[in-house]
Amino acid sequence: MKIAPIELTVQRAVKRYGGVVALSNGNLDVRSGEVLALLGANGSGKSTLAKIITGVVAPNEGDLRVDGQAVRFSSPHAARKAGISAVYQELSLVPDLTVAENIWLTHEPLRAGTLDRREMQRRTADLLALFSGAMRDSLSPETSIHTLPPDEKQIVEILKALSFGPRLMILDEATASLDSRQVDRLFNLVGQWKRDGMAIVFVSHRMEEIFRLADKATVLRNGESVGTRAIAETTERELVGLMIEGMHEFERRPPSAALASAPVRLKVEHVTGHGLHEVSLELCDGELLGIGGLQGQGQSELLLALFGALRVSGHVTISGEEARFKHPKDAMQKGVALVPGDRASEGLLMIRSILENLQLPSWREYGVPIRMKKAERDGAQVAEELRMVMASLDAPVNSLSGGNAQKVVLGKWLLRSPHLLLLNDPTKGVDVGAKSEFYELLNQLRDRGTAILFYSSDDDELLGLCDRVLVMHDGAVRAELAGDGLNRTALVAASMGAAG
Amino acid sequence: MTTRTAPSSTRQFGKAFSRYPWLYSLIMLVVLLVINRSLQDNLFELFAVNGNLRVWLPAMLLAAGQTMVVIAGGIDMSVGGILSMCNAILATQIPSDATAERFITVIAISLLAGLAAGALNGFGVTYLRLQPIVTTYATSFIFSGIALQILPEPGGRLPRDVTTFFRNPIGDAVPVPALVIVGILIFWYVLTRTRFRQYLFGSGSKAEAAYATGVPVSRVRFTTYLLSGLFAALAAVALTMGNGTGNPRAGDLMTLPSVVAVVLGGTALSGGRGSVIGSLIGVAILGSISNVLSFAQIDRWVRPLTDALIIVVALAVPGVFALVRRMRR
Repeated sequence: MKIAPIELTVQRAVKRYGGVVALSNGNLDVRSGEVLALLGANGSGKSTLAKIITGVVAPNEGDLRVDGQAVRFSSPHAARKAGISAVYQELSLVPDLTVAENIWLTHEPLRAGTLDRREMQRRTADLLALFSGAMRDSLSPETSIHTLPPDEKQIVEILKALSFGPRLMILDEATASLDSRQVDRLFNLVGQWKRDGMAIVFVSHRMEEIFRLADKATVLRNGESVGTRAIAETTERELVGLMIEGMHEFERRPPSAALASAPVRLKVEHVTGHGLHEVSLELCDGELLGIGGLQGQGQSELLLALFGALRVSGHVTISGEEARFKHPKDAMQKGVALVPGDRASEGLLMIRSILENLQLPSWREYGVPIRMKKAERDGAQVAEELRMVMASLDAPVNSLSGGNAQKVVLGKWLLRSPHLLLLNDPTKGVDVGAKSEFYELLNQLRDRGTAILFYSSDDDELLGLCDRVLVMHDGAVRAELAGDGLNRTALVAASMGAAG
Repeated sequence: MTTRTAPSSTRQFGKAFSRYPWLYSLIMLVVLLVINRSLQDNLFELFAVNGNLRVWLPAMLLAAGQTMVVIAGGIDMSVGGILSMCNAILATQIPSDATAERFITVIAISLLAGLAAGALNGFGVTYLRLQPIVTTYATSFIFSGIALQILPEPGGRLPRDVTTFFRNPIGDAVPVPALVIVGILIFWYVLTRTRFRQYLFGSGSKAEAAYATGVPVSRVRFTTYLLSGLFAALAAVALTMGNGTGNPRAGDLMTLPSVVAVVLGGTALSGGRGSVIGSLIGVAILGSISNVLSFAQIDRWVRPLTDALIIVVALAVPGVFALVRRMRR
């Protein structure tokens, strides 16, 4: 199979979301028969750049050229017409349609205007054969998507992108849910496609995969393309260096002396399940333990498991007692609080008042009928402590800025005076000013003896605030960094799964 | 077969049920028909079949249109209103001495009125992005209001030839409503063999995924409201030809049963799954329940309660099965 040649270049692409610049200067260049890896730390803009090529995101500025012709993709559909198809990380499959129906959706084989189901089955079987032996034999073109496990969904997603006969394919974290056998098969296929003349852009978190598959790598840092290297002529060390170059190290406050003698609040042993593998850790009162790593490596799952929202195997001890939470309310009773990452969907009732939101987990403390005066007094006190900027406690939460809304999420748990605070990437989308207030608050809580487990996708926060950082990769703790070992190079290298 | 699979017969069975979600409702209908037959000896004779189908036909047309809206992820609470409006148009504009040409023109006008009503719903839901249930509930008052404007009180009389033709089996063998039902089935069969079928189910199952793949989700949803309006107008034609007269409140109590029939037929209210075939069976189930209760000589004032209880039980059965399965796990 010969694929028509393609050459794609992006120059000086800029993408802003409101006031936030996600990509300030994105450049890349890829042509037929080449595998280009895009890499960068969290928030470096690599996903944004990939989305610009696939038409998911329209750039504010910049120059996108296919075969030298300037183009503008208004939708993924438009990009596909130009021969570019993407394997999405957030799956684009329709659960109630079958494997075949999903693969051929919008370009179904037709005969006399009606669906040619036999042809559709045949072509699907041909595509599935590419992965035969690497997944269940019982997976037929007629299987409904909603019955498939994540790895098979991902394979269908890859085959769907392939079914459009692309000249350029973008694999955005396509290996995340595949096992090693499936990854091997995919890499063999990519090798084949490359020889046929396809161009491939490969976005991956895994350094090892990049060195196995890619011909060259473009590195992004802070929304800017900072360099492209031929894989044959570079090293992991050089790429990691490019990713973090010029970023300053933080002055950390010295760990308090009391910490050494503080009692262990949380002990986690061999927690496994929901993508987690044998996670163990210990956290003392008054300690701020960071969890780092690239996004989606099991950090959120770990916090949710500790909060009783996900069932996992292994041992968890809180304050010396075995903790087997079946429901978040069990965890709450034991003085555990979780500040979720997605404020709008998990943390807040957006159209209800600030007071209602603050008191939602605590109404029980105010009796029947509710002692409203006391509830208001307590709410006002927390609001003041958090320096919340608001019209009044009765204003709806959706009238607040992102930073202040996040304070409400935190405030509602502070009202319960937790012993163990789980923070799930709490400063995402929060402005700089609110962030620094937030850090101050974390330090106060720590001084009061609260044990804090803090997942952040912002490396600066981890480096600046934490005494110790666990780096997660593929659901396991890859490295524990503390003292002098806690620096940016080590953090990024461990995040990428690099050897050293 | 690999070693991991369950015994093949149960597996085949489960597969058939997941592929044809209306099989469960078909079983329910057969049971009801058996009960009905034990109470009513002539149930399967031509006269009774003809009568039942004639009574059920308008509800079947409404349910068929409703099904497509629901599969695409919406709901149409205005089908009863559209039916009333078209019923009023037909009854007032077709005098008892109408020519064939006049008759056909007025039918065409009422079908256009149904399409226009559907377009209004579709515009509100897909382009103004209003909630389907609120939009169509609100527009239903427009349509029933228009019905009352056109025909303030029940009245009008269609040409005798029309009603005679519609009420009597062709050649003393084939009921006219049966032909219409076959027509609906052919329509559905053809539709499910086109690309539109994939768009319809895709839009209802996961709109974002379908959109990302290039499915014109808004256009698909708009089309379902158009079709629902058209089917409601066809239901009005069937009702008017059956009754020979008009009633501006004819559709008042027909909207909710159309939704119940859709659900009884195995179509998911959450969208993405279902079939018009199931909805036709659903209407037959509702009709049979009504027959059984009237033949069982249950007092009239108890009927609403018994009707409702049976429907609730019928709707709950799949939920109970699912609950048991979850608890066993």
